Amino acid sequence: MSGLLGQPRDTWGRVRHSIDWVVVLLAFGMIALALINLNSAGKGDWTGRVATQLRWVALGTGIMFAVTAIDYRVIYRVAYATYTFAVGLLILVPLVGIKVNGARRWLGTIDYRIQPSELMKVLLVVALARYLHDVHAKEVRGMRTLVIPFAMVLVPAALIINQPDLGTGVMILLVAFPVLSVTRMHLRTMLGAGLAGLISFGLGWRYLADYQRKRIDVWLDPELYADDEGYQTIQAIISVGNGGFFGRGVDQGTQNVLGFLPEPFTDFPFAVYAEEWGFVGGAMALTLYLCITLWSINIASQARDRFGALLCTGVAALFFWHVVINIGMVLQLVPVSGITLPFFSAGGSNVLTMMIGLGILMSVSRSRQWRS
Amino acid sequence: MIGLRQRDDLRDLRPRFQAMVLVVLLVFLGLLGRLCQIQILEGDHYTRRAERNFIDVVDVEAPRGRIFDVEGRPVATNRPAYTLYVTAWARFMRDGEAGVVPTPEGKRIVMDDETRDLIASLIDFVDAADRAEFIARIEELRADELEGKYAQIARRNLDWDEFARIQARLDTIDPWVEIRESSKRYYPESQLVGFVTGHMGNIGPKTLERSRHLNYRPGDRMGKTGIERQWENYLRGRLGRRARVVDARRREAQDAPREAIEALPEDTDPIPGQDIYLTLDLDLQRVAYDALSEKLAGGVVVMEVKTGKILAMVSVPALDPNLYEQPIPSAQWQAWAKSPLKPFIDKTVQEHFFPGSTYKVVSAIAALSHPEFDPDELIECQGYIKYGGRRFRDTHVHGEMNLESAIVESCNTYFYQLAVDNILSLDRMEQVARSLGLGERSGLGLNGEVRGTIPTEEFEAREGTYQGGVRLNSAIGQGNVKATVLQLAVLYAAIANGGYVMTPYLVDHIETNEGKLVFTSQPQRRNDQPVIDPVDRERIHRGLVGVVNHEDGTAYSERLPNIVVAGKTGTAQVGREKRRVDPEADEQEEQIEGWDTTQDHAWFAAYAPAGSPSIVVVAMVEHGGIGADAAAPIVMKVTNHYIGSTLSETDVPLRAYGEPPPLPGQARRDEAAARAGIPTSGAAP
Repeated sequence: MSGLLGQPRDTWGRVRHSIDWVVVLLAFGMIALALINLNSAGKGDWTGRVATQLRWVALGTGIMFAVTAIDYRVIYRVAYATYTFAVGLLILVPLVGIKVNGARRWLGTIDYRIQPSELMKVLLVVALARYLHDVHAKEVRGMRTLVIPFAMVLVPAALIINQPDLGTGVMILLVAFPVLSVTRMHLRTMLGAGLAGLISFGLGWRYLADYQRKRIDVWLDPELYADDEGYQTIQAIISVGNGGFFGRGVDQGTQNVLGFLPEPFTDFPFAVYAEEWGFVGGAMALTLYLCITLWSINIASQARDRFGALLCTGVAALFFWHVVINIGMVLQLVPVSGITLPFFSAGGSNVLTMMIGLGILMSVSRSRQWRS
Repeated sequence: MIGLRQRDDLRDLRPRFQAMVLVVLLVFLGLLGRLCQIQILEGDHYTRRAERNFIDVVDVEAPRGRIFDVEGRPVATNRPAYTLYVTAWARFMRDGEAGVVPTPEGKRIVMDDETRDLIASLIDFVDAADRAEFIARIEELRADELEGKYAQIARRNLDWDEFARIQARLDTIDPWVEIRESSKRYYPESQLVGFVTGHMGNIGPKTLERSRHLNYRPGDRMGKTGIERQWENYLRGRLGRRARVVDARRREAQDAPREAIEALPEDTDPIPGQDIYLTLDLDLQRVAYDALSEKLAGGVVVMEVKTGKILAMVSVPALDPNLYEQPIPSAQWQAWAKSPLKPFIDKTVQEHFFPGSTYKVVSAIAALSHPEFDPDELIECQGYIKYGGRRFRDTHVHGEMNLESAIVESCNTYFYQLAVDNILSLDRMEQVARSLGLGERSGLGLNGEVRGTIPTEEFEAREGTYQGGVRLNSAIGQGNVKATVLQLAVLYAAIANGGYVMTPYLVDHIETNEGKLVFTSQPQRRNDQPVIDPVDRERIHRGLVGVVNHEDGTAYSERLPNIVVAGKTGTAQVGREKRRVDPEADEQEEQIEGWDTTQDHAWFAAYAPAGSPSIVVVAMVEHGGIGADAAAPIVMKVTNHYIGSTLSETDVPLRAYGEPPPLPGQARRDEAAARAGIPTSGAAP
């Protein structure tokens, strides 16, 4: 469309034109809801978590526009380097990482720490996109072409699962799956890969740690463990149900305000939200997430080239799986894991990863206007 | 290197994107459907469950009814106190950056040993046993996850220091410990009315089991003795219930959401216990207590003769009932339990003694009921009588005695002779004694009253103690005759009021907290017709007046200058009772200064004013020696106080102060006797 209208002359006009305002609108819609909700989760404590989160959002916004500004062909060029860098960080984690709540997943100090596994999700998408793009360009086909991308997925996944962080490890696999599927790979190959995944998961079941197996038991019947591991699952669903149609109102949800809901900042912010905003609010948040996912797929389908399309598919997958698994966990559709809800969960890694994703999205979106 | 030189044709990917959109739409629709199910379809169910989380219904203890004396002065009331509640299986919380948040699991964690010991270190235990009991209570809660989930009473009546100490350490012991305000019993007069009010104690497991319908809770307090026990159901009140909004730690939420407060069920106010007004007069009680507590052990009962109202009731030694509001060191407890003075025993009703010569009125009435008995016939007293090869001794040689002078001078020989002559048979005496309330509980119902014993032929035969001599001993209130101080009060009241055995009572009336009358005592006679013939009564009355007012009377030295008192001394021979074959106990007895178990029990039972008796006063001093010396002064002090403070001079024929008491054989004596209501004819010898 903009192509028909021609490029505006002035700088601001050019900038305005090159920004995908749909993405920005959706992003800040989600961020606004998330910040209000974080304030509620913290029981009105603006100075603590909300302020921290605001700082991350500000930094993330900067990074988002910076990534937008970068020609994504630059991203193409550094794809393997950044991927290798991230794998290097993952290898460092067991060696020099710091422990929080008994798991060694972070690098840095307690106050300023990053989670390399979060970064890995985006960088894997980038690397995969480049490889699949190149393979397509070379017109190579068949099972052989899948060996390297599978390795690219499985190496970081294995490192992450080993941390141990089964949730994020599985997330790596889930995010990679749609990216891999947007090739000209045969349907039967994909089914085969899926089957192989299922079989390996079945085999791996006996190697799961006790607490991981327990989580599945809890998911199947949380009431059995009501005074124990099932507590948070039950309290989360009570919170959601207590919200009813219109919600209890901000700061009026008893489950959160009175402290019955555990982990309201990281794992269960959606339970806080659903209790205060009810079905109306829940549907609104789901719609925002649905829109960003669909818009990503839309940009992917209109991308200038295969690399761009694969990038956008990856970003769509990133949002889709995070939302589905986190909210699914709150609604007791999937077992409890540490998967965060984009923007709603407190923490820098989550915000930055999603912001980088959105930046990539806008960058690709911008490329649709290029004449080449 | 393959770059991004040209635009790619992506039309081949369109079906895959379309499939993706379809999958995404379906999945989100699924989430929305699930949201709809939980929030709309099952919303009410989860709202109920949320309410179950935050609604906590706590018991509100009813203030216990107070106890007042006849003038409305409090003798038992309540004071604020603190109660320690322990939740042994608390949801474990840890401090997060934004206050206390649950652990990821929100797990219930049983109190660990360190915490238990920390809590114990903040409490002032009186001794090791007290500490062990507390630890045992915590262990009990730790062992029982079902009960331990809820805050349970672990210790009552914390003092302010303990409260402050625990409060200061709440940061570390918080999830497991809570302090709630409560109240404890307070007895402003301490031991003065200790035996009457009784004291409180923790409910025992057996009582708890037996009285399920009464809704006691483990750790509750209840009356253990005295009025507290007897009228427990009136004093107790009924628990109220208060619903409150609690947070995950089960603490009351400070600023709960409005809707949460609206969701609370309605409160039920506690029904306060009912207030008891005693017939007891604190002033009189104090006079009696002060007089008696100069002695080591004994009892005094003061009763209105016409109604049976008890005006004072004292037992010495007495313990301060406030002591029971805290744990008592077991060493202290042992010392009390072993003490020969028996501080746990209410000497007025809980222990019976030989009544000694005070019993002679019963013998006299029994003799008068014998058709062949002539009260004016003189019997020679040589200071002893021989019977069945034994010598039955008297205090001294009394000379010639008739019934009246035998009472006045307390001549044993006279009554021995009546027993020898079979005018006083065991069964005859028993019949009279029983009709006058001896050998039966008086009906006061306080402190596990004992019956006393009045022997019959059959009783003696059963006991294997029957000998002819038993009759002789029984006639003077020895042998197997035993009675309580209260029984003698009832007996002398019956003589004073013309033959009516009154049921004594302590509770005048009961009011609700709002002052509504719920119960009033009415004087109760045990018999419709007087049990003593009026003529007989006059004879005995004359004798009793003579005891105090005749110069040969055993209590003549104790007469009051302005009040005519009628009474009878008693000196019950107990000798040295080898009750226990326990050298340690004997040693203990010897350590108490002034406690001489070779001394007799001293009695004095009296009523006054003699002309129209209003009160009966009975005093008994354990191992006090001669009745006239040890017990009579106590009775006189009480009588003087009562008559002096309750009756004006115009009401009663009082003797002017300093005027000598009437003496037999003198005109003035006759005049005075006439005023006192004694017929002048047939005066004492």
